[in-house]
Amino acid sequence: MSRVFLNFAILSYIAGGAVGVATPVIGCFLVQRRLSLIGDAVGHLAFAGVAIGIAAGLAPLWGSLAIAVAGAIALEWLRARGRLAGDLSLALIFYLALAVGLVVLSARGGLNPSAMGFLFGSIFTITWLDVLSIALLCLLVVAAVALFYKELVAVALDEETAHASGLPVDALNVLLVGLTALLVVAGMRVVGLLLIAALLVMPVAAGSRLAHSFRGSMLWAVAAGLVATLGGLVIALVQGEIAPGGTIVVTAAAVFAVATVAGRRAARQHPRRSAA
Amino acid sequence: MHGVTAELEDVLFGYGAEPILVDVDLTLRGGEFTVLAGANGSGKSTLLKLMVGLLRPDAGTISVLGGSPTDHRIRRRIGYAPQGLRLATSLPVSVAEVVAAGLAPAKGLFKRMGGADWSRVDGAIDAVGLGHLSAECLFELSGGQQQRAILARALVAQPELLLLDEPTTGIDQRLRPALADEFRRRADSGVTVVAVSHDPDDFHTVCDRILVVVDGRLKQISHEEFHTHLEMAP
Repeated sequence: MSRVFLNFAILSYIAGGAVGVATPVIGCFLVQRRLSLIGDAVGHLAFAGVAIGIAAGLAPLWGSLAIAVAGAIALEWLRARGRLAGDLSLALIFYLALAVGLVVLSARGGLNPSAMGFLFGSIFTITWLDVLSIALLCLLVVAAVALFYKELVAVALDEETAHASGLPVDALNVLLVGLTALLVVAGMRVVGLLLIAALLVMPVAAGSRLAHSFRGSMLWAVAAGLVATLGGLVIALVQGEIAPGGTIVVTAAAVFAVATVAGRRAARQHPRRSAA
Repeated sequence: MHGVTAELEDVLFGYGAEPILVDVDLTLRGGEFTVLAGANGSGKSTLLKLMVGLLRPDAGTISVLGGSPTDHRIRRRIGYAPQGLRLATSLPVSVAEVVAAGLAPAKGLFKRMGGADWSRVDGAIDAVGLGHLSAECLFELSGGQQQRAILARALVAQPELLLLDEPTTGIDQRLRPALADEFRRRADSGVTVVAVSHDPDDFHTVCDRILVVVDGRLKQISHEEFHTHLEMAP
């Protein structure tokens, strides 16, 4: 029987599919607001959370969830007050969080191959319980976006006017980064904390090449995310030795390339109306 | 006669040590169409931002629609079109989506957009003459068309107070009278309209008064004086 139909493969499809659908949904708002690097920052914070959680005797999920959500909200608090301007501040957070994770893990003797699983994913070793927690986190994120879609779009388009028109912009921003943190943790076992930001961005970039609206971009991005995760998993299963986190992200890059070519071809065949 | 919509008393505001608005007193009534003029940097846009609660006065009081402009419930009754296109441009956005964003606050949390809401969106888009471009990506349209979409976003929730910062920027001269008529229609239905404008010909046939900001203070002038003022402005 081919590896692609084995039990562990089916589990990986479900978990990977859930993350592949949910990450572009949040990614659209992050990309539109030029907050793409937030996913990276939260990923690094979550690694520190994994280490601190293990040191405290907690499951990695809970440690990463606590630090990622708290860190994401703190990042947004700093950003909203203009204290997190530019990429330098985010870079400092990346390296500090990664270093804290390394220090704590190695001090506890936990710097072993399983630690690499948090950084680069370990989807072929997940259990039904892992799948359930990943699916629940993804479902929570998609449901929250569906509930606050019109408000999140209004803020993503123009934060100042959204503020002037009476929307609770600060609360919506906290919601967005909080949901991002949940997704980063959900994707920890799928592609790893260092690569999850790629799934927040690449499918969205692909979707934007094919659509004329925000909603259209999101739908195309979800399709691209699903193709990237499932395609990447199948490639890793068939080949047998390549890390699935890597094949998923490389497939996402390939989907982006195809979307770019298809988008340009469509634009040539149906040129936009000239401005009047 | 309609009631008072907004009242500013002894308002003082500056971005630094030097105030740009000094002792500003202004009363706006329902159904009134006011044009706000003045040199670049004189404080016209600042005055609108104070009225919509984006800025707070250093001194004086501002009452809008019977409350503070920093109150979310008050802000939802104001239509505000800022100067220039401030939209995030990373992803494509359709004209209809931009305009629908203006309806989100009035619609309220947890409520989805229904058929009646999309009809209102279509109506606002038609009002600015973009009906045939509703599904198009905003960033592929001309600057004037983008500006009209921003105006539709301010109109869509049928606000009681319309604050428009240079609403005709980039818009073709031949299309401006129709927009001016649309704003006049809104005023005639009881809405208070305030439009910042550099062009005395944009609204002179439809507005009720022209106020000019000079040395941080408001002064009412005639249309003829508006022309003179522009010629003398730096």
